Amino acid sequence: MTQSAPAWASAVGAGIDAAGIRHVVYVPDNPLAHVLRVLARDHSNIRATIATREEEAFGIAAGLYLGGARAAVLLQSSGLGNSLNALTSLLIPYQIPVAIVVSMRGDVGEWNAAQVPMGRAVRAIFDAIGVAHATAASPDTTADTVRSAAATAFDTRLPSACLLPRNLTAGPVVPRTSIASERVGGLAGRQPRERSGDLGAPASERVGGLAGRQPPSKK
Amino acid sequence: MTRLDATRIVAASAGDSPIVASLGHPAYDLFAAGDRPANFYTWGSMGLASSIGLGLALARPDARAIVVDGDGSLLMNLGSLATIGWARPDNLVLIVWDNALYATTGGQETATAHHADLAAAARALGIDRAATVEDEPALRAALARARVEPGPWAIVAKVTESAPIAKPPFDCVFIKQRFMAAIGNPEPATRGL
Repeated sequence: MTQSAPAWASAVGAGIDAAGIRHVVYVPDNPLAHVLRVLARDHSNIRATIATREEEAFGIAAGLYLGGARAAVLLQSSGLGNSLNALTSLLIPYQIPVAIVVSMRGDVGEWNAAQVPMGRAVRAIFDAIGVAHATAASPDTTADTVRSAAATAFDTRLPSACLLPRNLTAGPVVPRTSIASERVGGLAGRQPRERSGDLGAPASERVGGLAGRQPPSKK
Repeated sequence: MTRLDATRIVAASAGDSPIVASLGHPAYDLFAAGDRPANFYTWGSMGLASSIGLGLALARPDARAIVVDGDGSLLMNLGSLATIGWARPDNLVLIVWDNALYATTGGQETATAHHADLAAAARALGIDRAATVEDEPALRAALARARVEPGPWAIVAKVTESAPIAKPPFDCVFIKQRFMAAIGNPEPATRGL
């Protein structure tokens, strides 16, 4: 695969590395695939281990910490539901810090109704169980947000999360001009609603399910 | 053999190796068999003992990570066998107390009381060194092999239920910090300004 990594994904890799994390445990989704490629290409000092389920990933990460290693768990927002027992009955009571990187679904730009309830609940769930969280705002600041969220975990000995919203990770894959031409080409049935009008998002943050964009993620 | 007797055999053969115990009766029996700082007792997260052991084995390739799990717990996180069978850390020894019961919760049957074979599952998911042991000599022999032959190992020990006689400390942070210090990577002090 020759595609270059988007800037936000390189920034996530840089932030993870800068936090001293040498193991990531993950359940993949499409945006995280970019991060995993960045880690494999630019951060050979970081080992990636795939888990079958997010709860398992947190168990592995806890074991890594017990063995003296800093770990991050990478997951999609849908996987937070699968993770709650590990967070609340292992990591939090034992004060085992893990950096959490959440690829968000269900937020602005979502097309899959099955992603919406958990995606919209992520922040409230983290608040309810006492997990600090920050949201990466732009590629320029993402490395620092990831590093800072990870540092919060290891400094406070609690899991701490960085959320990667869809308007960061879905990126401007299709230039605005071709969006316009595709509309003319009759893709109206696949078009997301116009966003600049109702949400005020700049074109560079547009997201959605246009043809030619990355395929739908898991679940 | 009872689970407590079997646990005593594991504890006696463990040397300095860290042992991670699944919540409930496996943890209670490990404590009763001989509390030591290199025991990590879980109080929650049913199913995750083998995952914790995997992470520990990956972080500390110089140590032999032993897990005492239960059949019901492993059934809750069967995917862990596939992950272990893929990562294949040679220093992980997963011991499963198979009493065919959810004993900690009142003795409901597990699937191993019927058709489920956890050693076969381990083998099918990539853990070649998987064995079922039915008595104390067979358990001792399997543990002796696991001490010298590279793993990962999955030893499924058929045990009978024995009423717990003691419980480990309740303080989770104490358990963690004592464990990390005992295995040579004490938890670092958090950074001061």
